[in-house]
Amino acid sequence: MNRLDIHDILFRVEKPARYLGNELNSYHKNIDTETIRFGFCFPDIYEIGMSHLGMQILYHLLNKEDNIFCERVFSPAIDMEEEMRKNKIPLFGLESRQPIKHFDFLGFTLQYELSYTNILNMLNLAGIPLFASERGEEDPLIMVGGPCAYNPEPLADFVDIVILGEAEEVTLEVIKDYENMKKKDDFKRSDFLLKIAPIQGVYIPSLYNVEYHQEGPIKAVSPVNNSVPEKITKRIIENLDEVFYPEEIIVPYINTVHDRIMLEVFRGCTRGCRFCQAGMIYRPVREKGFDRLKDLTEKLLANTGYEEISLASLSTSDYSKLDKLVRHLIDEYEKDKVGISLPSLRLDNFTFELIQEIQKIRKTGLTFAPEAGSQRLRDVINKGLTEDDLTNAVEKAFSLGWSSVKLYFMIGLPTESFEDLDGIRDLALKVVDSYYHTEKEKRGKGLNVTVSASTFVPKPFTPFQWEPLDTLEAIYEKQKFLVDGLRSKKITFNYHDAKTSFLEAVFARGDRRLSKVLARGLEVGCKFDGWMEHFDFDRWMKVFDECEIDPAFYANRRRSYDEILPWDHIDVGVSKDFLVRENEKAKSGELTVDCRTNCSGCGINQGFIGGIC
Amino acid sequence: MFRLRARFSKNEDLIFISHLDLMRVFERAMRRANIPISHTQGFNPHPIMAFATALGLGISSAAEYIDIQLDEEIQTESFVDRLNNVLPNGLKIIQCTYISSKEESLMAVIKRSVYLVKVSLQTPISKEELTTELERFTGLEEIVLIKEKKKKGRKNQKTVQHVDIRPNIYSIELLSLEEEQAIFKMNLAAGSVGNLKPEIVIEKLMELTQLQINLESMRIHRLELFKEVEGTFVTPLEDLKSI
Repeated sequence: MNRLDIHDILFRVEKPARYLGNELNSYHKNIDTETIRFGFCFPDIYEIGMSHLGMQILYHLLNKEDNIFCERVFSPAIDMEEEMRKNKIPLFGLESRQPIKHFDFLGFTLQYELSYTNILNMLNLAGIPLFASERGEEDPLIMVGGPCAYNPEPLADFVDIVILGEAEEVTLEVIKDYENMKKKDDFKRSDFLLKIAPIQGVYIPSLYNVEYHQEGPIKAVSPVNNSVPEKITKRIIENLDEVFYPEEIIVPYINTVHDRIMLEVFRGCTRGCRFCQAGMIYRPVREKGFDRLKDLTEKLLANTGYEEISLASLSTSDYSKLDKLVRHLIDEYEKDKVGISLPSLRLDNFTFELIQEIQKIRKTGLTFAPEAGSQRLRDVINKGLTEDDLTNAVEKAFSLGWSSVKLYFMIGLPTESFEDLDGIRDLALKVVDSYYHTEKEKRGKGLNVTVSASTFVPKPFTPFQWEPLDTLEAIYEKQKFLVDGLRSKKITFNYHDAKTSFLEAVFARGDRRLSKVLARGLEVGCKFDGWMEHFDFDRWMKVFDECEIDPAFYANRRRSYDEILPWDHIDVGVSKDFLVRENEKAKSGELTVDCRTNCSGCGINQGFIGGIC
Repeated sequence: MFRLRARFSKNEDLIFISHLDLMRVFERAMRRANIPISHTQGFNPHPIMAFATALGLGISSAAEYIDIQLDEEIQTESFVDRLNNVLPNGLKIIQCTYISSKEESLMAVIKRSVYLVKVSLQTPISKEELTTELERFTGLEEIVLIKEKKKKGRKNQKTVQHVDIRPNIYSIELLSLEEEQAIFKMNLAAGSVGNLKPEIVIEKLMELTQLQINLESMRIHRLELFKEVEGTFVTPLEDLKSI
C-alpha cells in the first residue's frame, strides 16, 4: 500500500508538523501480511494527544512486539479536516500515511466526555461505519479504554471492545488471541469477541442486553449467554517495577501541552477525596521503586534530550521516596540544566525545602487546591486540609520570594451554600493579606492571586455518583456571586463555562440510549465540544429534543441507592457499599482517613492484590 | 569560551517545522549528542546558540547558519558527526569552524539571500515574453508594498505603511520555463536591515505585470546567505577573523 500524498496540503494548513509522523523515537516498520496494525487514536488535536502519557506507554509497548505496528492517529484540526475531505483523503496513521480503515484495531482513549463526537467524526473521516452492528469483517475492531471507559455506555453501540483498567497486559492478550484466530481461515469477528469476553479487563458491550423501566432508569443488564461474565472486572498491574515503561518517548517538533518527560512514580491515590473519580478507579496504590526510576530517568533523558522531567502521579507528594528521588535528580542532572516539575503537590505535606532546591534550576509557579471555601465543605468532600494548612503554606511561599499563586476551587459540590462561597472569597483575601504581611525584603514583586472555580460534575464510581449536577441557573448565580466577591486588582478570577459541564455530566453518567444523540450530534456538525470556539450548546439541545431525550434526566437527577446505574455491571474494585457509606459520611461531614493510616474498607484488597494495598 | 559557526541544510519534511521548533530540535539534539554547549545564567537557563535568520514555514534551504557557544573545545569533525547522528532526516550539518569571540553575530552580518522560486503560470507564455515581463518588473523605479500593522494595544486600529521594496531586490533571473512551470533565481535583501521574502516578490510580480501565477503552487528554496566584506559578498563561513 502506498503512502497517501499530503505534501501539497501541508503547505496550506496551520502547523503542518502535526501531520508528519516522523518525530524522534517514532516507529516505522515494514508491513507484510503478518503485521497486526493497531491505530492508537486520540480524539483531539496533536498537541493534546501528544501530552498523554498513556499513549506513549502503549505505543512503545505494542511496537516492541515485532509483529505489531502501532501508529498514532489524532483528530485533524478543522483546517486539515476540510482539506482532507476536499481532496478525498481518508484518516490515516501518522507513521505510514495509510488509511486506518485497513488496520486491524483502532484503540481510542477516552480522556473526557466532550471528545466523544470527535471519535465518531474520526470514524466518519476514515470511512468506517459508526455503529458496531454495521461494520463488516473487513473493518477494524474498535476498542476504547481510559478513565471514561469505566462507564462506556453512551458509546456502547459504536465500539466492539472496551478495555477496563490498566491496559499493558490485557491489550497484548487480546491481540494474541486475535493473531491465533486470524491464522485459521474462518475468522469471524463475532467468534473473536466471544472468545475474549472472559478475559479480565475485557468488556464486549454487544454481549449484554439492557432493559429499561418505563419511567427511565435501567431495569436489568444481562449477558447474552452464560459464557459471558455477568460482572466485568477491571484489570490492574500488580508490580509497577516489572511492568513495561518506555525508555524512549516520542519527542514532538511542535510545542505540546506537556512537552517534557513524564516519569510515572506511582498509580492510585490513598486520599479518598469524595469527588475524585481517579482516586477511586485507579486503586490500589502501587509505587515504582527508586532504583527503577533512577534507571528510567537516565535512559529517557539520553534518548530524548529533554530539558525537563515531571514526576507524574495523582498526588506526587505522597510518593514515599520523593525526597530521595528529587535529591538524586538534582545531584545528577543540575549540571545539565534539567528542570524538575512536581505537579499535584498537596500543601498539607508540602516540602518547601524540596521545592526550593528545585527552584535553583528552574523557577515555576505555585498552585494550591483547597477545592472548597469552607472547612465544613472541605470535610464533606473529604479534602483533609485546614485553613491553617493553606495560610501557613502561602505565608511560607511569600517569605521565600514567590509572588504569584493559583488557588483551585470547585463550585456546585453537594450541600454547598453561599456561605461556602463566601469562604472562597475570604480565603483569597487572606492570601492577599498574607502577602502584605510578609517583609518587603523577602517577598517577590507584583502580587497576583489567581482563583479558578470549575464546576463540580458528579462521576461514576465516586461517593457522589448519585448526586445531581447543579442546574445551569444555580451555577450562573454562584459564578456571578464570586465575580462580585472577588473584585480586586490583585485577584484574577477564572471560571468554567457551565454549559460544557452540563454536557459532560450527561455523558459521564449516561446509558446506551445516548448513542442516538451522539450520532445525531455528528450529523449536525458537533465536534471539538471541549473547545469553546466550536462548542454550540443550542445545537446540542436541539439534538436532545429531536431524539426525545431529556438531558436533565442524566445530569440533574438525584439517583436512589437502589437504582441500577448504567455502570453497575462493571467492577472497579471499590464496592458500592463503600461508596454508599462515604456518601452518607459526606452528608454529616465526617472524615475518612488516608488509607495509608487506616484501611477504609473500600474493597480493593478483596481479590485484586492479595490482601494488602 | 569557544564559538562555533556551522552551516546546515533543511529539507524534506523538516521544511514544515517553524523556527521555534527548529530551535528546540537543535537544543535537544545537542543534549543527545553530548555537545558541551554553554547556558545562560538565571532562573530559566537556555543553551547559547543563535541562528542567522528565521526561515519561513515550507521553505527548504541548503544554507542555514548557526553560532553555538561551547564550554569546552571539541573537534569540529566530531561535532558534525555527533550532531548528524542524532538530527532528524532533513536536517544536516554540512560544515563548521571555530570563530573568534570578536566575530559579529550572524544576525548582524547577513545582508543577502539567494532563492530558487518555482511557480506555475496559469496561462501559456514563451520564454521571451516572460523574460520581457520580468525585465519590465525589475526596470520599475519603485515597487510599493502596502503594509498594514495593528496598533499596539489597540484592537481594530491599523497603521498603513508604504514601503518601497525595489531597493531590496538585487536580481531576478529566469532559470527555466517548462510547461508553464517557471523557476526564478532571486537575490534579495536579508537580515536585520530590510528583509524581503520571495513570496512578496512573486505577489508583486503578479500585481504589476500581465503574469498569471498560481500562488498556491509556489515552492521556495534558499541557496545561500551572504555577508558583505568591502563590497563583495561572501558566505558567513568565509573571510573570518583569525582566532
